[in-house]
Amino acid sequence: MDKLKAYYRKTELFFGNLKFAVVIITLFAICLGYGTFMESYHGTEYANRLIYKSFFFMAIQFCMFLSILFATLIRLPPRKHLYGFYVIHAGLITLFLGSFITYTSGIDGTITLAPNLAGRQIQLTNDEFRIEFPTKGKEVTVELPFVSGPKDLKMDYEGIKLKTFLPFAKDELNWLPMKIKNESQSSSRYRIYNDNFGEFITLSLHPLSDFNNTITMGPLNVHYMPTSLANCFMANTPDGLIIWNGETSQCISPVVSEIKRRKHQSGKTIAEVNFNGTLVAFLPEMSPLPLNSQMELNENSPFRIFSKKLFEKAPHLFLFGKFVAFYNKDSKSWEGSAVEINNEVILPWMGFKARLIEHKTDAYATMTPVFVKPIQENGQLIAGDMKALKIEIDDQDFWVRSTEPVAYNQNNERIRMEIGKKVLTLPYELILDQFKMDTDPGTTNPASFESYVTLFKGNKGSEKHHIFMNNPLKYDNFTFYQASYFQTQQGPYGSVLSVNFDPGRFWKYLGALLLVLGSIWHYYLRRKHLAKPGAQNG
Amino acid sequence: MGKLLSLFILLFSFNTFAQFNFCTKDLETFPTRSGGREKPLYVVATETLRFITGETKIEDLSATEAFCKLSLKAFGMPLELPVMVRVDHIDVKKILGMNENDHSVDINIVIAKIALIDTELAQQKENNSYKKELTKVKQRHDAYIAITSARLWTIPQVNVGKIEFVSLGEFLTETRVAEARTKSALPVNYLFEQAKKDYLKLNGDSYLLELTYFKYNLFLWAMLISILAIFSFVGLKNKAPASVLTLITIGLQIAAMTMRILISGRAPVTNMYETVMFSGFGALVISCIITIYRKEIAFVIAGLGYNILCLMMMKFANGMLEPGISPLVPVLRDNFWLSTHVTTVILSYAALALSWLIANGLLIRDRFFSVSSSEYRYGVDLIYTCIKFGVVLLSTGVILGGVWADYSWGRFWGWDPKETWSLIVLLVYLAILHGKSTSWIPPHRFVPLVAGAFMSVMMAWFGVNYILASGLHSYGFSEGGALFLGSFFIIQITLIILGTLGKKKLA
Repeated sequence: MDKLKAYYRKTELFFGNLKFAVVIITLFAICLGYGTFMESYHGTEYANRLIYKSFFFMAIQFCMFLSILFATLIRLPPRKHLYGFYVIHAGLITLFLGSFITYTSGIDGTITLAPNLAGRQIQLTNDEFRIEFPTKGKEVTVELPFVSGPKDLKMDYEGIKLKTFLPFAKDELNWLPMKIKNESQSSSRYRIYNDNFGEFITLSLHPLSDFNNTITMGPLNVHYMPTSLANCFMANTPDGLIIWNGETSQCISPVVSEIKRRKHQSGKTIAEVNFNGTLVAFLPEMSPLPLNSQMELNENSPFRIFSKKLFEKAPHLFLFGKFVAFYNKDSKSWEGSAVEINNEVILPWMGFKARLIEHKTDAYATMTPVFVKPIQENGQLIAGDMKALKIEIDDQDFWVRSTEPVAYNQNNERIRMEIGKKVLTLPYELILDQFKMDTDPGTTNPASFESYVTLFKGNKGSEKHHIFMNNPLKYDNFTFYQASYFQTQQGPYGSVLSVNFDPGRFWKYLGALLLVLGSIWHYYLRRKHLAKPGAQNG
Repeated sequence: MGKLLSLFILLFSFNTFAQFNFCTKDLETFPTRSGGREKPLYVVATETLRFITGETKIEDLSATEAFCKLSLKAFGMPLELPVMVRVDHIDVKKILGMNENDHSVDINIVIAKIALIDTELAQQKENNSYKKELTKVKQRHDAYIAITSARLWTIPQVNVGKIEFVSLGEFLTETRVAEARTKSALPVNYLFEQAKKDYLKLNGDSYLLELTYFKYNLFLWAMLISILAIFSFVGLKNKAPASVLTLITIGLQIAAMTMRILISGRAPVTNMYETVMFSGFGALVISCIITIYRKEIAFVIAGLGYNILCLMMMKFANGMLEPGISPLVPVLRDNFWLSTHVTTVILSYAALALSWLIANGLLIRDRFFSVSSSEYRYGVDLIYTCIKFGVVLLSTGVILGGVWADYSWGRFWGWDPKETWSLIVLLVYLAILHGKSTSWIPPHRFVPLVAGAFMSVMMAWFGVNYILASGLHSYGFSEGGALFLGSFFIIQITLIILGTLGKKKLA
């Protein structure tokens, strides 16, 4: 017992020591200062994950709590000149307890209300990974860790392995090797630029690539095609027709005499071409798809036909890996030239040039999430605003991004997976009747944000409420505050309310009051001052 | 342009001389609206001209006269005023073809190079100082174009019994001027007189208080009298004249702040300019209270000194502190919380500023002059008194901030940079106060620590807005502040190093 007392005494002396208080207060202040800089550079969520909600920071706060507690206990029994001190420290202990109750039992989230639609789902801060099995009618949710950097997970749900979670990520170009070299599934990277503008573009013909084979840059349309098509493209035929077999990557540019034209019963012109022994029929003015024996458009056919003439009016750039072609309006002819890696071709539009950066036929370009520290500018995240989770299904790795859900067919079942915010469903509904934003007279500066909502309380009827800055709605222990707004595609504004349930509120207020009153009392009790040197006492 | 040209012919075809004299100082009281508020033309003209040129005059023309004449350019008035646009960034000077030592460039050069500025702006990915300056030059250009195309000057008009404001270009229509010509030989003057009469009849003349506020320049008088008071306190044995001067200073500042409150309709603590204004005043009042309570004149001298520093910043740091009165962002539109939370925090900074001044004074005196051990300890006690006030006020202010945040944003504490830094300030002073009772912080360490601790106040007050500039509280962001803060830190650290190095330790 005496040993236990001695241990307690040691603990009391250690934590209740003024020097320990100085150290822990200083450490706490340094962490806070660092946190504000992190928040400024990397955003609120990163600072929360790195500092304010980290284990280390919680441990410092716990040490502060111990310091305050033992500093009080060590000064018992009560002494009159320390009354203010006791009240201050009792206030701080109450404040800490209130904050702890809020941390463990409080709810802090947002509810997004689209105009005239019922809303009852509160989005919370934490992220979760949801897996839906529609045929089984089952949904699995996994809470993702609140970390600031990449975190390896060792979790397995229904044959889906959760491998790595990236709380802040960006997609980065990645070349994945192909099993067999294939010219018709190539990927290339170019830079299109002039003196005022420049952009890197990546194009791919590989079916698993995240990149398309066409891209639009303002008025310029860029098309990416297999290298084998380049010759047909440059063939100078009067019709300008090109027929292409997607399976073999072969193409022909038939001359007029090789195209048989006949009228169909519908009055449309059917063109027929002999492509290496196969007769291919088209409606050249209508579709690039060939016709089957029933004279219907055949989407499954490997053949495609198109006319170059369609691409002569607007700027169209055709890229064939190491070959570039375009129609030059000045010379009224199709021009093309070969281009090697890091070489450029001058284009006939506004001084633009195309430079080939990379071209691969044994690897395909795809986007892979990589961890990135988020960057904040003017209060907005400009990098790292995506979360990503690497999963493994059927021995294959996939990335699930917070930007869009992913579907996967497993044993004839379509599984849907997504990363989203944890959701809490309210037992009642809110409908946004109107969102109003007033501006200062003669300006576009917002003067007020106001939500007119109807609260449907189930069997208890409904109520109209007006929520605006500094005027929240309180119902069922929840408080709804005007937080933000957004414009829907249809035009009207929607509203975002922050929703809060704080069971620690009373204790925090009580603690705060005790702290302020205690400080005044403390300094009143210690109001003795030194006399001015040289001045007479009395 | 064709319409404006024909209007010009209509306007100036008769009695040209009289019309040219239209732009006089009488227009200073003309009601107009700008930035969401109704105010006299004098204020709009001065603020706009200062924004564009950094000056409140063009040659011998007052801001109002120049603003009026520039506005009339929209009607083809043949007038060339040398409007010089302020440019501070060296790289922006280069693209405008300026010399490094020039501070302004002719507006016509900016107009000619605006496409280049736009291209440069579009190419800047980072929001660095170059981009900010380019944006500012573009805004100055846009403001000039808005004036000279008669869009910036708004004129009151009666519409269904209510005053509405239209731009000068919309107001001076051919029909309206032709109609006015039938009533007066000076149709433009007639139309403006009529517009003003209509405004006064419906909205009254309370807007003119802003003219009085800016014209009287009471803060400048307060600064001069504060300086006199300090000299009187130090130089005269009889403290009565200095006390009277101090009271006059306080009276002038109360009068000026009351005017500002009446104009804006809110507590005067909503931007950097106002917080500096209130903290100077607060420090002086607190110092007077402590002086009475402790019968020690050093407090009031420190209070006056700090008040002078604040008034000087208000007068001379216009690049950093904007004296104009603007509408508030929605979340701050709550007078109760503004006048409790913000004022309490600013008063706490004022009290801590007194401790900072006394600490620095003691540091310098001890290093370069002679201070006895008892005098030093007495000085420490004075500092301690100020900190006690500061800490109690700051705790209250931080807690009131938490309550306001809970009331309007739904959480008592959210680690927003402003609230976090106010807590850091509290923690810094608490660490010093706790340490003072240990062997770690004896008096010779206490004084430099208090002098340095004020850097945390400056960081919370200015640094969050000028350096961190993010979070819910960033309503006072403006340029130039980072430089000010950096200089302050360097000077303060140098003072501490000078004051502590090679100094004999006092017990």
